[in-house]
Amino acid sequence: MARVLNNSYEELVEKAQELFWLKGFKGVSVKELSEYLSISPSTIYNKYSKDDLFLDSLDYYTSNYSDPFLSQLRETTEGLDSLKDFFYTLIDALLDKTFPRNCLMVNTVVELRNENDNVVKRYDDYMTVLEDSYKVVLEKAHALGQIKDRNKIDDYAQYLLGVIFSLSILYKLKPKEELRQYIDEEMSFIN
Amino acid sequence: MRYKEYNVNRVLEKSIPLFWNKGFNGCSINEIVETTGVNRFSLYHEFSNKEGILYQSLKLYRERYTKDQLSILSSDGNLVSILKRFYLSFLEETRPILGCYIIHIGTELADSDKEVNQFVDNFLNEIKNMFVALLTKNNYENQDAAVRARHLLGLYCTSMSFCLIHTPAEREKYIQNGIKVITS
Repeated sequence: MARVLNNSYEELVEKAQELFWLKGFKGVSVKELSEYLSISPSTIYNKYSKDDLFLDSLDYYTSNYSDPFLSQLRETTEGLDSLKDFFYTLIDALLDKTFPRNCLMVNTVVELRNENDNVVKRYDDYMTVLEDSYKVVLEKAHALGQIKDRNKIDDYAQYLLGVIFSLSILYKLKPKEELRQYIDEEMSFIN
Repeated sequence: MRYKEYNVNRVLEKSIPLFWNKGFNGCSINEIVETTGVNRFSLYHEFSNKEGILYQSLKLYRERYTKDQLSILSSDGNLVSILKRFYLSFLEETRPILGCYIIHIGTELADSDKEVNQFVDNFLNEIKNMFVALLTKNNYENQDAAVRARHLLGLYCTSMSFCLIHTPAEREKYIQNGIKVITS
């Protein structure tokens, strides 16, 4: 218990998030989680719960990884070229393990699907921010003349939501050049 | 001999939803013993290890649960409706699991397990080649067909992951929109 007092809850969440990102929710046992956090299993059962630590890990991930990444995207000025760079950066981060695995939110969708309502709520928020960020960039692309028909922006934004999901498996199968080519081609469909 | 074959496939059939629901790394050999009703000794004797069960289950799934779906791509008719029917055929509630087991296992293990990586890559290539043939039949030029086929494959990966959290209506809309963006 002495160790718990030394760790703020935020620090525990930050550490827990590392482990969940690597191994998923079901892939982490309470025993393993407690060892990783240097607290006793009973503390997890009685005080925090694995579920809460996981939900807070998702929030930690969103505010520390995806939100900053997406607000950078929204501030870009080159339309489709900026969007391409955004996906290139994502590919690099996946391949050089800056990100330990692909997007935690994508992993969670694949792993837990709609099993937990609190998690579903987080997908909804995440997808809304992602789709809105794409729309901001696509509007700029329209202003730059890269997209002719403004009415198509919503369809394109919805389409682009899938890219992080297809990349989440393709990056494990294809070399970097092919992944970049894949992104170039995706951009060529938007016109 | 027949008795054993029957048993092997029964073990695999029961392992598929188990790995699907808990993830390969998320379930222990004890859980496989409990779910299949086959003791640990027999499992190890037949499959050598947990990985052996996984590899065999992928093969069984491909044989039993993807052949009819893939054959949709060789049917005649309107391109968009064939594609839509193909994607949605993996998302029918009557299937043992929703989506594609091969994509699911690939997302978990394709970077850490070479055999899974090869298996998933082969499967995806097979689908991609069928997309190419379908597009060529619909008068897309060779190179153009190859490009679009890669992205129809991307849409396949997406439909088997992202679409699992969709309602049937959202799913249909997303897939329809994807087909439209890629083929037009």
